[in-house]
Amino acid sequence: MIKSMDPQPPPTASAPGTNVTSELAHPRADFLKVTDFNFYYGKKQALYQINMEIPQRQVTAFIGPSGCGKSTLLRNFNRMNELIDGVRHEGDILLNGRSIYDKKMEVIALRRSIGMVFQKSNPFPKSIYENIVYSLRIAGISSKNILDETVERSLRGAALWDEVKDRLQDSALGLSGGQMQRLCIARAIANRPEILLMDEPCSALDPIATAKVEDLIHDLKSQFTIVIVTHNMQQATRCSDRTAFFYLGKLIEYDDTQKIFTNPGEKQTEDYITGRFG
Amino acid sequence: MSTDTVAMPNTHILSTFEEALRSLRDDALMMASLTERNLENARKGLFERDEDWCNTVIADDEEVDTLEVQIDREGVNIMLRYHPLASDMRNVISTMKLSVNLERIADQAVGIARRSRKLISRPPADEMFHLEPIYQYAETMVKDAVRAFASQDLELARGLKERDRQLDQMNRSFAEKLTDLMSHRVDFIPTYMDLIFISRFLERIGDQATNMGEDTIYAISAEETRHTHHLTG
Repeated sequence: MIKSMDPQPPPTASAPGTNVTSELAHPRADFLKVTDFNFYYGKKQALYQINMEIPQRQVTAFIGPSGCGKSTLLRNFNRMNELIDGVRHEGDILLNGRSIYDKKMEVIALRRSIGMVFQKSNPFPKSIYENIVYSLRIAGISSKNILDETVERSLRGAALWDEVKDRLQDSALGLSGGQMQRLCIARAIANRPEILLMDEPCSALDPIATAKVEDLIHDLKSQFTIVIVTHNMQQATRCSDRTAFFYLGKLIEYDDTQKIFTNPGEKQTEDYITGRFG
Repeated sequence: MSTDTVAMPNTHILSTFEEALRSLRDDALMMASLTERNLENARKGLFERDEDWCNTVIADDEEVDTLEVQIDREGVNIMLRYHPLASDMRNVISTMKLSVNLERIADQAVGIARRSRKLISRPPADEMFHLEPIYQYAETMVKDAVRAFASQDLELARGLKERDRQLDQMNRSFAEKLTDLMSHRVDFIPTYMDLIFISRFLERIGDQATNMGEDTIYAISAEETRHTHHLTG
């Protein structure tokens, strides 16, 4: 059953940088809260009774074998899964206390507030500049000052500015794999989202590009709440503050990253991270 | 949080990792048995006044040193190749630390053997009798520390700290007794000094056995028990 929260004013869809939720002085421990969440692809249940709280301005890693449901849960946070036919859910997901399924919640505004970076970088076949300002233009913003400022801020935020500032009008498809992925991060943060979802963002990158993205994740967490799906244990240990282990659609264990990787509480977690799973 | 049990195999997917862990552990147990043997031989040299045993201990120390280097290399290799996590990581770390403590114990056995050679060259002292229980106590602590590591016996490992306090007390009493005697038996001062040194070696061996116990506790339960004497009284 879908719960609904107290109605709150709808977000201003036209203004980038206006978040769905208000800025908090102190990070909130249950910034993103999942309660009794079940999810189905048609008849197949993919997630079972998930309950978890993701803290604000921290990095939370989702780990687990393929098919365990970690990406499915991630894609529920910005309601991406609703683009698939036949899906349904039970339970609720609250963003800063407000249900993302609230009837007054605009999905577009939600996705602006919860940016996503995918496994394979997917820049638009446009210039670097246009990639960044694409969503602003869609939102009807045409002020050159605002667009320029957003491009510089986003590219600096994604640690890409120095590498591309002299060729902003060049095609984004000419960038290296690592640069393309950071461009996608820049594009995601152009809207000043509150949450950044990253679905295996480094799986196609070489070690140097991976290190740059990981460094970036560390820098970005002062402003954004980050949830990252990764198959790379070392990446989870390096990047995240909290780690959740999923198995067969269930959340097996969720704790501080150091605890999970030095002394997990559940045998299944221990077996998975030590490679005794298979 | 779900804790439904789903059967998962208990062997590592990477057989080479499993083999590397087994090899590290085997070498640590081999090193432990050589160290115990050296300590036992040093005891024979001391109490049987047999210089051959003393020389054997000094010569055999090299085997222990070689194994320490080998375990260090294997541990680093495992870290580098397999990035162990959770219990695997704790086991590798504690095994490497165990080997450092074993090497120190073997060094203390060499120290005892050297002092014993000096003692043998002088007339025997009756006070040797009081040293025997201290030696036995320290030796048993080492055996139990190794047993706790080998069989992952948490309770045995935990008990070592308290036993170390007892050993410290035995060492203190022995040193005080001999210091008192020095003023009455001046000709025995060099012998008493050697005995006090040997007792001191045994006291250090107790410390190292306790360290091994702490590392075993960490390997089993990830619990930090070092430097907690001020908390436990």
